[in-house]
Amino acid sequence: MKTILITLAILAVSAVTAQAGPEEDRMAFIKHYKARFPSVPREEYVNGAYAIDPIGRENWEAIEEFPPYEPFIDAGQAMWEKPFANGKGYKDCFPDGPAIAHQYPHWDKGKGMVMTLPLALNECLQANGEKPLKYKKGPINNILSYIAFQSRGKVVNVVVPDDDPRAMAAFEKGKKFYFTRRGQLNFSCATCHVQNTGLKVRTEILSPSVGHVTHWPVYRSKWGTVGTLHRRFSGCNNNIRAKALQAQGEEYRNLEYFLSYLSNGLELNGPGARK
Amino acid sequence: MKSKYLIIMLMLTFSLVAGSAAVLAGDMQPDAAAAMDAIAKAEAARKKAASVNGEWRDTGKFIKQAEEAAKAGDYSKAVKLANKAEAEGQLGYEQQVSQSELKIPSYLKY
Repeated sequence: MKTILITLAILAVSAVTAQAGPEEDRMAFIKHYKARFPSVPREEYVNGAYAIDPIGRENWEAIEEFPPYEPFIDAGQAMWEKPFANGKGYKDCFPDGPAIAHQYPHWDKGKGMVMTLPLALNECLQANGEKPLKYKKGPINNILSYIAFQSRGKVVNVVVPDDDPRAMAAFEKGKKFYFTRRGQLNFSCATCHVQNTGLKVRTEILSPSVGHVTHWPVYRSKWGTVGTLHRRFSGCNNNIRAKALQAQGEEYRNLEYFLSYLSNGLELNGPGARK
Repeated sequence: MKSKYLIIMLMLTFSLVAGSAAVLAGDMQPDAAAAMDAIAKAEAARKKAASVNGEWRDTGKFIKQAEEAAKAGDYSKAVKLANKAEAEGQLGYEQQVSQSELKIPSYLKY
């Protein structure tokens, strides 16, 4: 009897103090946005601010008739098909390719880190004696555009595996980063994208974080070219007057891991066009 | 003869008093050493913030500008910029350290 009571007590305490897992995080975000944007269907979140801003959407739909990212897709296809100096190609590293965007990011147990697509592409290049690509600007955006376009319709399915506690630790680090205030303006990602989503920062409507990762890489009119997700992370950090961290460094990869999980169940729709 | 001595002594005392009053009042112009010291302190503060991923965007720029001002001999500008950078470094460090524990904000309901 005493054992039963003690066990029940322990169970009760652990239920109360149990940390919310990734699914609870994702559902909390979805609930928050549903309350904020009751008429926006879940699948529309992949269009970011254009799911919640009708005027922006009109402009965006006009742009999408002649998408500015098309030349980048073509250049990317050429990159994918061109053999390396050693005769091999991207196909040899990625036999499932090029529709592989939905396989990233994922927890790499062997390396003990979050693996992202740009990182995997560079690993392929380096393994074949080719020069690695830069992670924010330049030709990486071509091959990412091609892969993203081929991967359209694939469903985001980020997994935090049970069998490696380091994966959950990386997820939690990404989550911590998301909610941490930084920079002279003392904003966190959540300040704009949760607390003030739908409101404006200067002239721009703040997008929700559910759906944030599905449409990368993105042709941003401001950049006049296609850029990567980590380039955008750097830009956002600069905007709040925090010194940007390293593209494809641990912090941004963990952030991408957390952010991508929030988009689980949504369809990839890259590359995208944005203001 | 005695009065000449007296005048010189008075002048010396006066200038000493004026000098120390100026220092006390902060009117004393910083010299190269003061500028270098301020820049070193700023760089230390910047590194401290960077060690916790808390460096702000412009801190490094202010330090560079301070170094350039010092090189050009404008030591008071150098000190001003360096002090600003040092303050940023300190604030950036405290900002991160004060958030060592994750707190989900109350506007996100689970």
